[in-house]
Amino acid sequence: MNIQTQIKRTAAEELLLDAFAAHGEALPGDSSVKAQRKAAAELIGRGLPTRRVESWHYTDLRRLLSNVAAFTQGQGAAAEAALLDGSTVLSVVGGKASASANVDGLTVASLVNGLADGKLAERLTLAGTDDTVGAINSAFVADGYAVDIAAGAEIAHPVELQNVHAGGQVHTRFVVNAGEGAKAVIVERQTGTGSALVSSVSELDVGEGAEILWIIVQDQPVEADHLAQFKARITANAKLTLFVMNSGAKLARQEVRVRMEGEHSQFHLRGVNLLAGDAHSDITMVLDHLAPDTYSTETIRNIVTGRADGVFQGMIRVAQKAQKTDAKMACNTLLLTDEGSFSTKPELEIFADDVVCGHGATVTEIEKAHLFYLMARGIEEKSARGLLVKAFLAEVIEELENEQAIEVLEDKLNRWFEAHA
Amino acid sequence: MAAVQETIDTVRTLDVDQYKYGFETLIESDKAPKGLNEDIIRFISAKKDEPEWMLEWRLGAYRRWLTMEEPTWARVEYPKIDFQDLHYFAAPKGITGPTSLDEVDPELLKTYEKLGIPLREQEILAGVQKPASDEPSDNVYASGRVAVDAVFDSVSVVTTFREELAKAGVIFCSISEAIREYPELVQKYLGSVVPVSDNYYATLNSAVFTDGSFVFVPKGVRCPMELSTYFRINEKNTGQFERTLIIAEEGAYVSYLEGCTAPQRDENQLHAAVVELIALDDAEIKYSTVQNWYPGDAEGKGGIYNFVTKRGDCRGKNSKISWTQVETGSAITWKYPSCILRGDNSVGEFYSIAVSNGYQQIDSGTKMIHLGKNTSSRIISKGISAGNSNNTYRGQVSIHRKAEGARNFTNCDSLLIGDQCGAHTVPYIEAKNASAKVEHEATTSKISEDQKFYVMQRGIPEEEAIALIVNGFVKDVIQELPMEFAVEAQKLISISLEGSVG
Repeated sequence: MNIQTQIKRTAAEELLLDAFAAHGEALPGDSSVKAQRKAAAELIGRGLPTRRVESWHYTDLRRLLSNVAAFTQGQGAAAEAALLDGSTVLSVVGGKASASANVDGLTVASLVNGLADGKLAERLTLAGTDDTVGAINSAFVADGYAVDIAAGAEIAHPVELQNVHAGGQVHTRFVVNAGEGAKAVIVERQTGTGSALVSSVSELDVGEGAEILWIIVQDQPVEADHLAQFKARITANAKLTLFVMNSGAKLARQEVRVRMEGEHSQFHLRGVNLLAGDAHSDITMVLDHLAPDTYSTETIRNIVTGRADGVFQGMIRVAQKAQKTDAKMACNTLLLTDEGSFSTKPELEIFADDVVCGHGATVTEIEKAHLFYLMARGIEEKSARGLLVKAFLAEVIEELENEQAIEVLEDKLNRWFEAHA
Repeated sequence: MAAVQETIDTVRTLDVDQYKYGFETLIESDKAPKGLNEDIIRFISAKKDEPEWMLEWRLGAYRRWLTMEEPTWARVEYPKIDFQDLHYFAAPKGITGPTSLDEVDPELLKTYEKLGIPLREQEILAGVQKPASDEPSDNVYASGRVAVDAVFDSVSVVTTFREELAKAGVIFCSISEAIREYPELVQKYLGSVVPVSDNYYATLNSAVFTDGSFVFVPKGVRCPMELSTYFRINEKNTGQFERTLIIAEEGAYVSYLEGCTAPQRDENQLHAAVVELIALDDAEIKYSTVQNWYPGDAEGKGGIYNFVTKRGDCRGKNSKISWTQVETGSAITWKYPSCILRGDNSVGEFYSIAVSNGYQQIDSGTKMIHLGKNTSSRIISKGISAGNSNNTYRGQVSIHRKAEGARNFTNCDSLLIGDQCGAHTVPYIEAKNASAKVEHEATTSKISEDQKFYVMQRGIPEEEAIALIVNGFVKDVIQELPMEFAVEAQKLISISLEGSVG
C-alpha cells in the first residue's frame, strides 16, 4: 500500500521500549556499548517484524509476541545439575553470572566487564534490519560469560553454559573463542520456570583445525518466550557440529548464523524439534560458504502434535570463490495432527559453479508400510507408532560422536514422549 | 538421439547474434498517447467497443492500482519503470480486431510468415504451405494443425480455424471479441481466478489489458486441435497487456500453446499478462508456453520485462491443469503459473525449463494450493544459468487444513555454466494436514567432470558433450511438451546457451 499510516505499537513493543527507557541507562556498558544499545532500541522502535519481513515469514513476531514479561527477576532461580556428568558448569542464574572455572586450557570471565569497558561493543552490532533477536539482546544484555579455550587444549569434560531463570526478563550472551587445534564439547542449556522473555546470543570462533561439538538444549516452560541466536565463524580445517534440541517455550526462535571462512572447514547441524500444545517453534539458519572446499550437512527432524506450529528456514549461500562446496540439507517432519502445522523454506543461493548443493524437505505422516510391518508382528498400533516416531528422531541423535550426549538426549526424548504421547 | 545432433548443429551455425526474431515490422500504427490515466482506459475501452460494465471493471482496477506498490520481493533488479512513459495501446493502422485475411496488411502477413506462423489455413489444409525463409521450419505451427490467434501489439489480427472449431462447439477468439459476443461467459469467469486486486501487475493488467485469447470448451468436448496464441510486440515504447481466459466445462479437454517474440531494441519493454484457466469436473487443460521474448543484448541492454500472473483453478472434482513452460527469452521474468486445487482428486502439474544467459534475470516457479481432498501436484523445474545471469526458482506448496490425503512431489534442479552466474532456490512448503505427504528435493551442481569425461572419452568434442548432458538434464520437462513443440524447445535451449559452452 502506498499510504504508510503510522501503525499503532503493540503492547509488546511498548513494553520493550518502556523497559529500555526505564532501565537502559543502568545496564552495564561504556559510551560505545551504550550507543549500540540505543541503536538496537531504535530498531525495536521501528516495530517488531511481521510476515512481510522475509526472514520472519512464518513467525509473525508482532502477532506472536503478544506480551512481554516484566523487567524484573523471578525469585528462587537456582543453577541446574549438569546435563552431562562431570561437566564444568557456568551458569547464568536469573540473568547473573557468578561461576568460575579452574580447568586447564579454559579462561572464563563474566561478561559484565567486557560490556563495562566497551571491549564487547562491536559484538553488539546488528546483522541487519531483520535482526530483531540481536536487537533485543543488544539493547538489554546484562551478563554472560566469555570463555577462551587455549590453542591446542583438549578439554576432557564438557563445558555447560547455563541460562536459568525463574520468570521475568533475561538477556544473556556467551562468547566462546576456541584457539587453534582446540577440542571441546559445549552444552548450552536454556531453561527455567515461569513466564519469561529470554534472549540469548552465543558467539563462537572456531580457530584453525579446532573441533567443537556444541549442544543446545532448550526446554523452557510453556509460558516463556525464547529468542536465541547462535553465531559462529569457522576457520580453515576446523570442524563445528551443532546439535539443537528444542522442546519447550510458548514461542521459540533459534537462529543459527554460520560463516565458513576457512578452506576445508566443516559444519554439521543436527536438530530435533519437539512440538506440543500451542507452541510455536522456529529454527532459522543462514549458512555462508565463503571459502573453497568447504563441507556442510544439515539434518532437522520435527514432530508436531497438538496445535503447535513448527518452522524451519534454512538458507545456504555459496559465494563465488567458494568453489568445490559440498552442502546438503534435509528437513523431515512428522505432522501428527490436523490442528498443527509445519512450514519450511529451504533456500539455496549459489554463485559458484563447481559445487554440489542439495536440499530435501518432506512433511508426512507415519509410513503405513512401516506401521504394518510392526503391527504384523503383534505390536499394537499405539506402541508401533511410538516406536516409529522415536526411531525417526533417535536417528539424528545417534549421529553424534559422543556416547554420553546420545544417552542423555535420548533419555530426554523418552521423557518428552511420556509427557506428550 | 537425432534431436541432440540437430541442437548442436544449430548452436554451431549461430553466432553471437543469437536472437533470430529481432526484426521490426515497418507498419503504420494507431497509438494511444503516452501515459496512463482514466481517459486512456476509456480510450482503450472505446477502441474495443466494450460494454459499460467492462469499462467500470477497468476503472475500478485502475483506482485500486493507484493505491498499490510495486512488489520488490523477487530476486530481480531493474530501474524503476515509468508507467507514464508508455503507450498503452498500439494497433496496426486500420485494424481494430480480427478480420478476414484479405483485409490484413500484407506487411503484417509477411511478419508472421517470417516468424513461421502460417495464417492461411486453406493452404495448410491443401498441403502447399512452404516455409517463408530458407531456414528450415522448426516450429510447431509448421505442422499446420494448430489454430492460431495472432496478437500484434494491442490487437488480435486474425484467428484461424474458427469454423472448424465452432463445429465442435469450441469458442476460440480474441478476448475483445468475447467481451462483445459472449458477455455472460466473460462476466462469469473473468477475474474469478486472478482477482482484480491480486497483485500490482495483475491489477494494472485488469485496468489496461488490450488483447489475448478466449477459449471455451463446452461439456464433454475434446478440442479437436491444438489451440495457440502468438504474441508479437512490434511498436516502440509500448506495453503489451495480454489477457487470456480458458474455460473447460465438465469432461472437456483442451491443449493450448503460447508463443511470443519481439524486435531487438535498446530500451526495455513491458509485457504484463494475466492468464486464467478454469477446469470444471473431470476437465483437463494443458497449457504450454515457449517464451522467447527479446532477452536484451550481450551487455544487458534492452529486452522485455515479462511480469506475468498465470493461474489455473481446478474448480471441479477430478479436474487437471498442467503447465509446461520453456523460458529462454526476456530480460526479466517474473512468473509463477499456479494451480488452485479446489476440487477433490484434482491434479496440478508444473514442468519448467528456465534458461538464462547474458544479463537475464529469471524469478519463476509455481504455487500449488491444495484445498480439496486427495489432491495431488507435481513440480519439475530445471534451471540453467550461464553468462552473468541469475536464475531463481521460487515456489509454494500449501496443504490446507481440509486437504486430506493431499500429495505433492517437487523436484527442482539447477545447473550452472560459468562462475559469473547465480542459481537460487526458494521453496515455501506449508502443511496443515496430517495425512498429507509433501516431498521436495533440489540440487544445484555444475556438469560433473565425470559425466563430461565419460562422454568425451568416447570421441565426442566438449561442446557436443555438454549439449548432450544438458539435453539429458531437461529431458523430464521436454517430454511433457506436445511433440513438435519439444523439438523447438530443444533448439531454443541450445541457442540460449550458445556462447557459454566450452
